[in-house]
Amino acid sequence: MTRPTLPLSRRLRGLFWPVPIETEVDEEIAAHIDLLTRRYVASGMSEGAARAAALRRFGDADRVRAECRGIRHDMEADVRRAELHQDLRMDAAFALRTLRRSPLFTLVALLTIAIGVGSNTAIFSVVQAVLVRPLPYRHAERVVLLWNSYPQSGLAQAAVSPPEFLDLREQLRAFDAVAALRPQPSTIVGDGGEPERLTAYVVTPNLFDLLGASPAVGRGFAAGDGAPGSERVIVLGHALWMRRFGGDPAVLGKRVSVAGLTRTVVGVMPPDVRFPDAPLGFLRERADLWIPSTWEQGRAEERGSQYLAVVARLREGASPAAARADVDAVAGRFRAAFPDRYAPPAVPGWSIDAVPLRDQMVGAVRPALLVLAGAVGLVLLIACVNVANLLLARGTNRQREMAVRLALGADRPRLLRQLLTESTILALAGGVLGVALAWAGVRTLVLLEGGDIPRLHETRIDGVALAFSVAVSALTGILVGLVPALQQSRASLRGTLAEGSRGAGDGLGRRRLRAALVAAQVAMALVVLVAAGLLGRSFVALQRIDVGFSPEGVLSMQISLPRTKYDSLYKLAAFFEQLQPRLVTAAGAVDASAVYPLPMSGDGWGGSYTVEGEPTGPTQPIPHAEYAVAMPGYFRTMRIPLRSGRDFTAADTRERPAVVIVDETLARRHWPGEDAVGKRINPNGAPGEWATVVGVVGHVRYSAPQEPGEPQIYLPYLQHPQATMSPVVRSAAPPAAIAAAARSAVRELDREVPLARVRTAGELVASAVARQRFNTMLLAAFALAALALASVGLYGVMSYLVSQRTREIGIRIALGGRPRDVRRMVMRETMLIALSGLAVGGAASLALSRTLAGLLYGVAPTDGVTYGAIALLLLAVAWLAAYGPARRATRIDPMVALRQ
Amino acid sequence: MATAPGTLLQGTLDLLVLKTLSWGPRHGYGIARWLEETTDDALQIEEGSLYPALYRMERRGWIEAAWGTSELGRRIKVYSLTARGRAQLRTESAQWAHFTAAVAKVLRTA
Repeated sequence: MTRPTLPLSRRLRGLFWPVPIETEVDEEIAAHIDLLTRRYVASGMSEGAARAAALRRFGDADRVRAECRGIRHDMEADVRRAELHQDLRMDAAFALRTLRRSPLFTLVALLTIAIGVGSNTAIFSVVQAVLVRPLPYRHAERVVLLWNSYPQSGLAQAAVSPPEFLDLREQLRAFDAVAALRPQPSTIVGDGGEPERLTAYVVTPNLFDLLGASPAVGRGFAAGDGAPGSERVIVLGHALWMRRFGGDPAVLGKRVSVAGLTRTVVGVMPPDVRFPDAPLGFLRERADLWIPSTWEQGRAEERGSQYLAVVARLREGASPAAARADVDAVAGRFRAAFPDRYAPPAVPGWSIDAVPLRDQMVGAVRPALLVLAGAVGLVLLIACVNVANLLLARGTNRQREMAVRLALGADRPRLLRQLLTESTILALAGGVLGVALAWAGVRTLVLLEGGDIPRLHETRIDGVALAFSVAVSALTGILVGLVPALQQSRASLRGTLAEGSRGAGDGLGRRRLRAALVAAQVAMALVVLVAAGLLGRSFVALQRIDVGFSPEGVLSMQISLPRTKYDSLYKLAAFFEQLQPRLVTAAGAVDASAVYPLPMSGDGWGGSYTVEGEPTGPTQPIPHAEYAVAMPGYFRTMRIPLRSGRDFTAADTRERPAVVIVDETLARRHWPGEDAVGKRINPNGAPGEWATVVGVVGHVRYSAPQEPGEPQIYLPYLQHPQATMSPVVRSAAPPAAIAAAARSAVRELDREVPLARVRTAGELVASAVARQRFNTMLLAAFALAALALASVGLYGVMSYLVSQRTREIGIRIALGGRPRDVRRMVMRETMLIALSGLAVGGAASLALSRTLAGLLYGVAPTDGVTYGAIALLLLAVAWLAAYGPARRATRIDPMVALRQ
Repeated sequence: MATAPGTLLQGTLDLLVLKTLSWGPRHGYGIARWLEETTDDALQIEEGSLYPALYRMERRGWIEAAWGTSELGRRIKVYSLTARGRAQLRTESAQWAHFTAAVAKVLRTA
């Protein structure tokens, strides 16, 4: 044990040390010189000479004084430090003893704090991973995405065509690099493994340099890669390299077949580089590998065929405003050069939108995460109130102890520090439990979420999160301890000793404080519950939306045929024509067909069309629609209602007249009150290629249940064959059996074609609202925690208040008060507390409701039903919490109560 | 000629003060007088330099201070040896003896 080096403790010095430190040295020196002077006088010197001699003999008094004072200060600091150390050690030992003596209190308090700190640490880690942690690219903060923006058609982020990309690259001045990429659904074969469907991206060779990503093995792309005639090379993603090539560095130089062509592996990217790492506009999936292309020859392509995502890097030091101005200037040039394509009135509102990479990746999830962060903050506050109340309740029982200690000379700050030490130890221990909870919670979250929220899978309880939880715990300890500690250390000596002896307990002030704390708890619980209730109702509303097809019993999959083998439209058409009957006979299927793109799959395809007889021109915007290619029987398979006309048939081939099927919204838009069947539209913009509408079907929500979407045009597959299609099978058999049957059906036709994205249509719809489900579930969990904590708080405080009023109630009963009146009195008090909490919480919820608006569907942020239901729920909880204590109050024996 | 305190060997003053206090508590002036008398004023130290040494040793816990009264009836700090100081005195005395013996041996051979 390190004792303070000073033999007297500072406090004892304070009592017995008559001289302040500042004058101590002066006095000592003066005494020495006086004694010396007297000696010289005694030996016969004059007074003046003696003093001068004494001073000489003493030496440099100023230096001595300064030196001594310095040492004395150091000594004081030593003592203070040692004392603080010792005090803390004593406080901690005392606190631990106290906590051990009341294990139930300690357990409840620990769990409460653990829930509060744990939920906050978990959400903090998620926010940290998703919103705060830097992206894995050196230049990430300077990277923006450039989109064609058509706000009038609801297309805020449309793709860019190769000529547009080349123009942007030439004309942008505030950017030092511009790259483009497009998805390339691919199959990898020929390296010994099973054929496997991959997500590949065709990218300009400068993409990795632009982002600031360096390969882990081998090289990235060089300037010449992807140019016509150059060697075909690819760069692998880390996951694919590990999975398929066992992480073997000898993969460099290996030749594999990807997307139908043999290519050489030249590099592997590090694990965290999967660009696009999160959905960026129409780029949905993370990359498995990259293929270079330059699009230098893209000048010749149609300006309207927009399929590229464009990434650009701001010049070092260029301001966002300068970038904005630069992009707008280029857009102005586009409008001047191609007015019918970019300028009003033909295309009103078009612009080039530049979105920072980080916003693009996580912008959509930010509001939800902030709401969750707010909710867990409230949960923590509720937990704090509970623990503070527990401490207060115990404090009352310890009031005598405190009073005695004050009487014995303990000073107030010392007592306060001791009480705070206790609550802080409690909070830190709870925090440790909380971190364990958070660790488990984060793992569960990542599993539950299923990959829809960008970067969530990177969530870790790291050093920063630990520091956060320690800070939160310490703050909790102080917050929770401060109110009771202040109350207790103020305990008036006489009052408490006297009052305590009679067991009357709490004063009025403290009862009010506790009531206010519980009311605050009810208010905070209401806010969290209302938010969860609104999200829940919104989610139910999402589930109830008629998406336009019936997903039950439908299994979907995707097939991409290699273009090298299926090099003619005839071969493509033949494959799917042969597949369809095999699918129908497979696994007892009712219906089978194919379509592309599949609703809710994330894939989308939009385009412009013209209608026969409707003028287009500068004053008439070209109408826009969602497109899909469908095989015969698709509408029947998906139970999309046929409103009039007929389905596609096997006879709708390229040799026959072009036909289309439109949805009811398109029919209503152009031929209101008329039958659309027999009308003609031009679906692909090539002059004179009219197609006859042969059928009208119901509208389908393509991208998500909550998105109404645009009018729809279906093209017959046999007239528009393509390599990628999504077969759909309706069957009563279990999905796994259908998938197996479908796989063998495909294998019979071609062993090298893999079946990808096998999912039930129900899963598709569910995945389209996965983020909403995630938010709702999480918020519901926190709301439950808030409700549980608040109920415990209510119950605890009500039982406590009743026990404190035992004497009063005893007197009432002795004076003839009926049990019912007593019960009513207790219930009324509870309900008053609850109601005032509800009033405050309701007001707060209304004030905060606007932040929720963007997350809700089909329910107003001020929805009366939700507010009412939650308020009733909380009232019921308050009633239940008070009922036990109230009944107990009626059973109080007046004699016992009075004698107490 | 007064010898500058720096010319005293490092730690020698501490040793002398400890030795002085081993005979009983004394104030700073008393220590100076005792040193003067027992050395026949051979050291001729600046008496002020005693005080930093005293404060330092107090901080180290070798000596402790209490207020007493001087011969002039003034308040004055009186220093006394602690147990730790006594132990320190023993080690330092032994070291000093060792040291001087070694130096003397060298000087004799010259």
